[in-house]
Amino acid sequence: MKDCISLTLPTKSEYVSVARLTASVVANNMGFDIESIEDIKVAVGEACNNAVLHGACQTEFDISFTVEHSEFVVDVLDCGNGFSIDSYNEPDLMNPGENGLGIFIMKSLMDDVTVESKVGNGTKIRMVKRLVV
Amino acid sequence: MSLKMNKQFQDMDQFWSVELIGDVDIQTSGRLKDELNQLLDQRESNINIDCASLSYIDSTGLGVLIGVLKRVKKNENEILISNAQQNIIKLLTITGLDKIFVMK
Repeated sequence: MKDCISLTLPTKSEYVSVARLTASVVANNMGFDIESIEDIKVAVGEACNNAVLHGACQTEFDISFTVEHSEFVVDVLDCGNGFSIDSYNEPDLMNPGENGLGIFIMKSLMDDVTVESKVGNGTKIRMVKRLVV
Repeated sequence: MSLKMNKQFQDMDQFWSVELIGDVDIQTSGRLKDELNQLLDQRESNINIDCASLSYIDSTGLGVLIGVLKRVKKNENEILISNAQQNIIKLLTITGLDKIFVMK
């Protein structure tokens, strides 16, 4: 059985918490432990931050949570500026900058993260967390 | 989601004490940046950030702390992070920031 929860949120910072809290509730219902729920909440926040910060003149972005067996799949889709994946560099942890930590944090906290983005064509981020039974 | 900040200069030990209560996220990190810089405008010194009541921080908040740390370091001062909850410590550890802030 597959359940899907979809949200369309304004690209405004005050609505990112709506996505974070929704993710927490769904993850809690699935039976994730507190640490994993925190991981999911932070990763979802980072993906939404990306949509809000780079959503350009788009007024909305989409987020969906799919629950299938023990997998929690989060898709965040915006139609904003996008960016060149080739130009993305992992942050230098010995000399961290003020930007660029978001994708690194998502990849650290979730089991799988894929980012599809093209300059001018928006960004799609898919993240998966698996429930270890 | 909100952020409350209690700020006080500790005359005895000569540092800014900043208590963060709530969430530092994309909505509140700009205000954190402004307020920390205003404190340093008043007096350049070490900053002790009490995180006992900080429930959430994201990359925008960490970016603010990194930016303020650069200013603080120029004056040979430090940012101390104290009483952080486990979820905050985890984020500081995976990003390596536990090595550039003084963790208490």
